[in-house]
Amino acid sequence: MTLTLIEAALLVFVLGCAVGAALLKDTLAAVMAFAAYSLGVSVLWLVLQAPDVGLTEAAVGAGIMTVLFLLALSNTTSPDVDRLFESVGWRSAALVAGFVVLIGATVPALPTIGDPNSAVVGGEVSQYYLENAYAQTEVKNAVTAVLAAYRGFDTLGEGVVVFSAVVVTLSVLRREVVA
Amino acid sequence: MTLDLLTTHYNYYAVVLLLGIGLYTVIESPNLVKKVIGMNVFQTGIFLFFITLAYRSGGNPPVVTEGAGPYVSPLPHVLILTAIVVGVSLTAVALALVVRVYSEYGTLDEHTLEELYHD
Repeated sequence: MTLTLIEAALLVFVLGCAVGAALLKDTLAAVMAFAAYSLGVSVLWLVLQAPDVGLTEAAVGAGIMTVLFLLALSNTTSPDVDRLFESVGWRSAALVAGFVVLIGATVPALPTIGDPNSAVVGGEVSQYYLENAYAQTEVKNAVTAVLAAYRGFDTLGEGVVVFSAVVVTLSVLRREVVA
Repeated sequence: MTLDLLTTHYNYYAVVLLLGIGLYTVIESPNLVKKVIGMNVFQTGIFLFFITLAYRSGGNPPVVTEGAGPYVSPLPHVLILTAIVVGVSLTAVALALVVRVYSEYGTLDEHTLEELYHD
């Protein structure tokens, strides 16, 4: 696939919001930049033909996540904002630049975007799900079929993670009330 | 050559940049809430990697109907759906710890916390 205008604009928007979230000194402003970032990413999922992921990202990533951050902010303080952006730490920047160059060097080894013969798209596993999902599970949406039927234990594990997170969050926050 | 790579692998370069931005925020920002934001940006970079790998030119969303093919691969979508929910759980726990740290020490600044810890 060639780079369309809408995808290029989305990528620029998403990267801009990420830089904003990284450098804005006021935490509330950083959280808002992150919310815009999540929304941009969820539209990017739609462009990449992943509507299930897009819906989840919009509801959970941009919605619940922002509420969580705002709740945390309302229980803490924001740092003194003497200027809009934080100063760039050059030592960290150099370290991160090294990391980016290292990871970036592996990119040419990856298949072209949209290649129908790549290991993931053209592979046996993907094709098996697409061909047999409806016959075996009577669910037309292959993503739902894999999530709930073929990899149901994964989803059970996900439920365990969410349950533990709720238990930990409550116990961490309640201790000051009890003790 | 370089331009050629950029037009065929552009999403992967965005992934690399997002990982860099997330890592930078986690390392450099002194504020604990912003470190959690950086962690989430890093995570989303990896999501973009998976969803891009699942993409197929001219592919439709993987909802199987007569004559609608070809489809994009459903498996990475499932993995990322799970990862998004796990990411939110992680954020909730991290923010709960941040609120608790604030109620104990009265600050969210990394350097101030270090000083308080050593005293």
